[in-house]
Amino acid sequence: MLEKFFEPRSVAIIGATIKEGKVGRVIVENFKKRFKGKIYPVNPKYDEVLGLKCYKNVKEIPDEIDLGIIVVPAPVVPTVMRDLAEKHVKAVIIISGGFRETGTEEGAKLEEEIREIAEKNRIRIIGPNCLGIYDNWSGVDTFFLPDEKMRRPPRGPISFISQSGAFASALLDWMAYRGIGISRAISYGNKIDVDDIDLLEYLGNDDKTGLIIMYLEGLKTGRGRQFIETARKVSLKKPIIIYKAGKTSRGGQAAASHTAALAGNYQLYKAAIKQAGLIEATSFDEIMDLSKILLTQPLMKGNRVYVVTDAGGVGVMLTDALTMQGFELPRTPSDLKEELRSILPPHCIVENPIDLTGDADDDRYIKVLEKLLPRDDVDAVVVVALPQIPGLKGKIFDYLIEAKKKYGKPMVTIMIGSEEAEKFKEYLEDNGIPAFESPERAAIALRALHEYSMFRKKHEG
Amino acid sequence: MTDPRTIIEKALSEGRYKLLEHEAIEIVKYYGAPVAEAVLAKTPEEAVEAASKLGYPVVLKIVSPDISHKSDVGGVIVGLKTPDEVREAAKKIIENVSRNAPRARITGILVQKMAPKGLEVIIGGLRDNIFGPVVMFGLGGIFVEVLKDVSFRIAPITVDDALEMMSEIKSAKLLEGYRGQPPVDKQSLAKIIISVANLLEENPEIESVDLNPVIAYPDKALVVDARVILKK
Repeated sequence: MLEKFFEPRSVAIIGATIKEGKVGRVIVENFKKRFKGKIYPVNPKYDEVLGLKCYKNVKEIPDEIDLGIIVVPAPVVPTVMRDLAEKHVKAVIIISGGFRETGTEEGAKLEEEIREIAEKNRIRIIGPNCLGIYDNWSGVDTFFLPDEKMRRPPRGPISFISQSGAFASALLDWMAYRGIGISRAISYGNKIDVDDIDLLEYLGNDDKTGLIIMYLEGLKTGRGRQFIETARKVSLKKPIIIYKAGKTSRGGQAAASHTAALAGNYQLYKAAIKQAGLIEATSFDEIMDLSKILLTQPLMKGNRVYVVTDAGGVGVMLTDALTMQGFELPRTPSDLKEELRSILPPHCIVENPIDLTGDADDDRYIKVLEKLLPRDDVDAVVVVALPQIPGLKGKIFDYLIEAKKKYGKPMVTIMIGSEEAEKFKEYLEDNGIPAFESPERAAIALRALHEYSMFRKKHEG
Repeated sequence: MTDPRTIIEKALSEGRYKLLEHEAIEIVKYYGAPVAEAVLAKTPEEAVEAASKLGYPVVLKIVSPDISHKSDVGGVIVGLKTPDEVREAAKKIIENVSRNAPRARITGILVQKMAPKGLEVIIGGLRDNIFGPVVMFGLGGIFVEVLKDVSFRIAPITVDDALEMMSEIKSAKLLEGYRGQPPVDKQSLAKIIISVANLLEENPEIESVDLNPVIAYPDKALVVDARVILKK
């Protein structure tokens, strides 16, 4: 349904311009850099835009147009829409603002007018008042922020749906700086047509998307039930992390019943999120933490977590944090205790959290993990390998990367420190082992993985 | 049993958006929720008759489209054990109401069998403009009023969903029994939650429902008071 938005063979940019810094110019530049299909600028004022032949009207273009991109002022948009309809264009991104979001009668009227034209001619619309699409595969890029202001991230498995354009562009820039890969990103603005549900469906079926992040302020009226149904279907294929903005309740409004008084907007979204199997992130940090664990780790079979540490204090912090997130830290079973005692010096603590103490070295970790990871009663392992101790050279990290492949069991690490810690952290994360600086953040991320695992288990039967 | 459609249409034709208590109870009962049996009486004598049919003890409540806080106007008298007590109480209620709310129209007096003590919970439902019918569960009294300790689900829901709603509230342990009390019958509560979802689903005129309280026992649950609001 939405292929023409993401993988068009040809695009018309209506409102293309040569004026420095203008939206209509940045978008042409973006397409020239990365888009592999044909680009047709449209503007009656020019014969040429940035070396491309410019057309007075979209109807004059001697080619089929898969995607129309509109950047002209709002009052002109209905006319452009009619031209696009005559040209049989079926997918349109309206970047322009000046519609319902202005709160004016004029804006609402214009929006209604373009909605009618679209409906009559079966044109799908993303927008208006949006950044549109950044697609790392086809090169569709209507994010009208120049490269030097918003860096483009490398290709990767994360796709992103955002109700806020500013948040979408900030996140892309942030991810680009950290080398985190993106597949496709969409900012849909006023969503007069294509909405969260359509996009979830598309990304759900998209082989290039392994994980979806959603920034949501609110769904369209009457779409809640469909949202849950679609999101649930997609969640069974790939994780969806949602950040719900606008958590404050309707507040103060006199309600006719107890239920109405208590049913704040966010309370209902929370229920919907749970029923749909979405994973809620409650802060920006969490969006990233949850992404990295859900992208790299296999599903958990249960909630029994073991901690292996070289720092007793961090072991205790983790015990608290994990317990608070609902995990069980089982007492080390007697057979395992005996095994561990036989391979560890007497001053090490074999009770979970297993403390290898400050004189530990890489081999001590490896020996213990070799006993732990194959066991059926171990559902995940958190490895605290603080690099300040002299014995730690880094072999343990190579082992973890191998062990992940060998045992297919969720593993996360805690890494606190300076340059060396950062170096190990990067190495681990490049190889699919999440490293966290804080025990609390690790515990929250692991809980998200557990919740998602249980959702999959429950619905896959 | 009166069909919910008839009750709703009658209320709307009379310009009433809040169903009278016996109407609300009737609708809830139609959808399979067990209710504390109640009969509408027009006179003190009818009240006595109703009470002897239902069995003692009973509670009497004023029924009026103009009164929403029945206790505030002296419109509720509980714990009546004999025909004489019922007769006197019925007269007293009419007297109280004519004094405290002289302009209120009086439909009658609801005679309801007193439910034995148990754990009070609230089950609610609401039609949201984004999600459509949603249901709510919480424990009664301070838990819902002060602590707002409730959970929601978007309809349609399964029995498992309803059970999960119960385990989700912070005070969930009270449902398991405390101080030697046996656990309450969660399956029965789950069925009531589902009946609220169904009645919202099938009657688009209904905007919200409060079953407050529902009294939960080890082997059953009873809806004692119901409030049904229609869309204006």
